[in-house]
Amino acid sequence: MDPVASQDAGEALAAVAHARRQVAEEIGLPRGYWWAMAAGWVVLGVIGEFGPSWLVIVATVLFGAGHAALASRLLDGRRGSDGVRVSAAVAGHRTPYVVVGMLVLLVALTVAAALLIDADGAGHAALWAAVVVAAVVGFGGPEILRTLRRWVRA
Amino acid sequence: MTTARFDELIHPATRLSLVATLAAADWAEFAYLRDRLGLSDSALSKQLATLEEAGYVATERRLEGRRHKLRARLTAAGRSAFEGHVAALEEIVAAAGLATG
Repeated sequence: MDPVASQDAGEALAAVAHARRQVAEEIGLPRGYWWAMAAGWVVLGVIGEFGPSWLVIVATVLFGAGHAALASRLLDGRRGSDGVRVSAAVAGHRTPYVVVGMLVLLVALTVAAALLIDADGAGHAALWAAVVVAAVVGFGGPEILRTLRRWVRA
Repeated sequence: MTTARFDELIHPATRLSLVATLAAADWAEFAYLRDRLGLSDSALSKQLATLEEAGYVATERRLEGRRHKLRARLTAAGRSAFEGHVAALEEIVAAAGLATG
């Protein structure tokens, strides 16, 4: 085997791996998803703070149903960019679990923030906690998901 | 099972990166490919035309808003040729490893 040819083949394989990694970087959810999630978080916070308990239940169920409807289309992570649709083989099948895990963590974070704010004696603890977490989701959702995916190698 | 087959058409560096990018996607838009591969519009058009002529790539012009956007995707023949080419490259590297090891 010509050593130049084998070196050339190695470099070609590295270029193939690099191209695949670049496309994999696009795995994620559209920006609009995160802002819609942030808006929902604030609305739930407002209702939780000021609304009657039956409205809290209805709003939570509607939020869950709306998310489930979106989730079936978006959670595979293949529509993170307008410029490319990541293949199913590259996207893998762990991204939906990472997103759902992230949402569970954010709910826990909201509850913890509300308890802290309440303990501090500030008013409208649930609302402030929802606003803080909504800002985290809206501004940092894609980056948090990317980091979590890297951690779990999804 | 992929049959290893070195493909002279795919192997040049720019074309290999282009095909590898398309192989990792269902489709990609012209602007995405141009930016990721660092090519000029004309250079990318030329590469896509070559691959389309060989039946490896299909392109589609879509109207989005007021702008036409070009989408490219790998055909089944293109995907098969790419997988065969990658397998051939792996064989070359493996054989070189055996020869030197």
